[in-house]
Amino acid sequence: MTPAHFAFSSAFMLGLAGLAFHRTHFLSALLCLEGLMLSLFIALSLWALQFDTMNSAALPMILLAFSACEAGAGLALLVATTRTHSNNRLQNLSLLQC
Amino acid sequence: MAPFVYSTLIISLGLGTAMTFASTHWYLAWMGIEINTLAIIPLMTQNHNPRAIEATTKYFFAQATASATLLFAAVSNAFLTGGWDILQINHPLTSTLTTLALAMKIGLAPLHSWMPEVMQGLSLLTGLILSTWQKLAPFCLIYQIQPDNPNVFITLGLLSVIVGGWGGFNQVQLRKILAYSSIAHLGWMILILPFSPPLTLLTLFTYLMMTFSLFSSFMLVRTTHINSLSISWAKIPTLTASVPLILLSLGGLPPLTGFLPKWLILQELTKQDLAPIATLAALSSLFSLYFYLRLSYTMTLTMPPNNPAGTLPWRLNPQHNTLPLALTTTTTIFLLPATPTILALFTF
Repeated sequence: MTPAHFAFSSAFMLGLAGLAFHRTHFLSALLCLEGLMLSLFIALSLWALQFDTMNSAALPMILLAFSACEAGAGLALLVATTRTHSNNRLQNLSLLQC
Repeated sequence: MAPFVYSTLIISLGLGTAMTFASTHWYLAWMGIEINTLAIIPLMTQNHNPRAIEATTKYFFAQATASATLLFAAVSNAFLTGGWDILQINHPLTSTLTTLALAMKIGLAPLHSWMPEVMQGLSLLTGLILSTWQKLAPFCLIYQIQPDNPNVFITLGLLSVIVGGWGGFNQVQLRKILAYSSIAHLGWMILILPFSPPLTLLTLFTYLMMTFSLFSSFMLVRTTHINSLSISWAKIPTLTASVPLILLSLGGLPPLTGFLPKWLILQELTKQDLAPIATLAALSSLFSLYFYLRLSYTMTLTMPPNNPAGTLPWRLNPQHNTLPLALTTTTTIFLLPATPTILALFTF
């Protein structure tokens, strides 16, 4: 395992742990998702730099575009949830359990 | 929803799956899955009620986490082995991580808990898309990873069969029952995947047929609760007669199509000297059979008090297009005699 691999792996794992264990607010979950995506961005950039291939130089940019779309969808859902459930605590999402 | 927006979303849904099917590069496959997820979110929220929003939120978080993990596994694989090819995922760590991410995408047992709740909040049509079309792209990827060690697949598969049977036990909501039945069927598919991939495809095919016909029948009688099944005879008597057969086919009873995959899977597992696992899977599917039987009992064998005017609707023509339902119902019920042909088709 190279230092670069270790760095982005630990960033990803920290983001995943945050998403899994810190479950109070919707926004913090979205931020953790964004953290996951940014660690992947670093990983793809490092890959492109390390191997100097033109093909993979575009991958980080495409990843950023997708993660922006995903963050947009997440924020839209944040607004929708706030309107229907009156606040943004994840605790409140309990209508469907039975 | 405006027709233009709706058609764009439907086309993107198709595009995502097609991209994943056509790709050999992990990144392209991931892009396809991501497009798929982003395209179904507006379709889920089109009925703007709290339950739909909540279901969409849960779906979004589960899918976003799973797809991030999938890409992480692909990048790690690229760093460790130097290749982006889907078939080339050899490192044990990354192949396990990929399997788990894809299992979360399709809702296999230890990672299934989003599935029943999401299904409960959606309309039946969106639920149908979720449990059939949305499974295809991740399944195409999971089909292409073939690890040396089958234990992960066996564990996932057995747990799914058990949880799918156990979870639906005490449910009265049809959509939750359907979600648990989907988990159990996916468990059967994953269980056989390391030993005989063509059987997985065959199981997937029969599962798609059975689920499509069951969902369309419920759409036709417009019911989402087990109580309202018992008045479906007043709406469409023929369907009331055939839905129990569809349900028993899902449960896997012999003269119906659902028996075909279960039979072949049990045979293959026994051939591989895995008789205890085959026994456990067969016994766990009895739980599923129990709740299918309860649905068929409520639908055909109970007759609630009804006034003569209430029995009128069966004389009217249904407004839906019933041709797909007729085709898939026939497939669901009568395909068992064609077993050799189907096997020849899938084992190429």
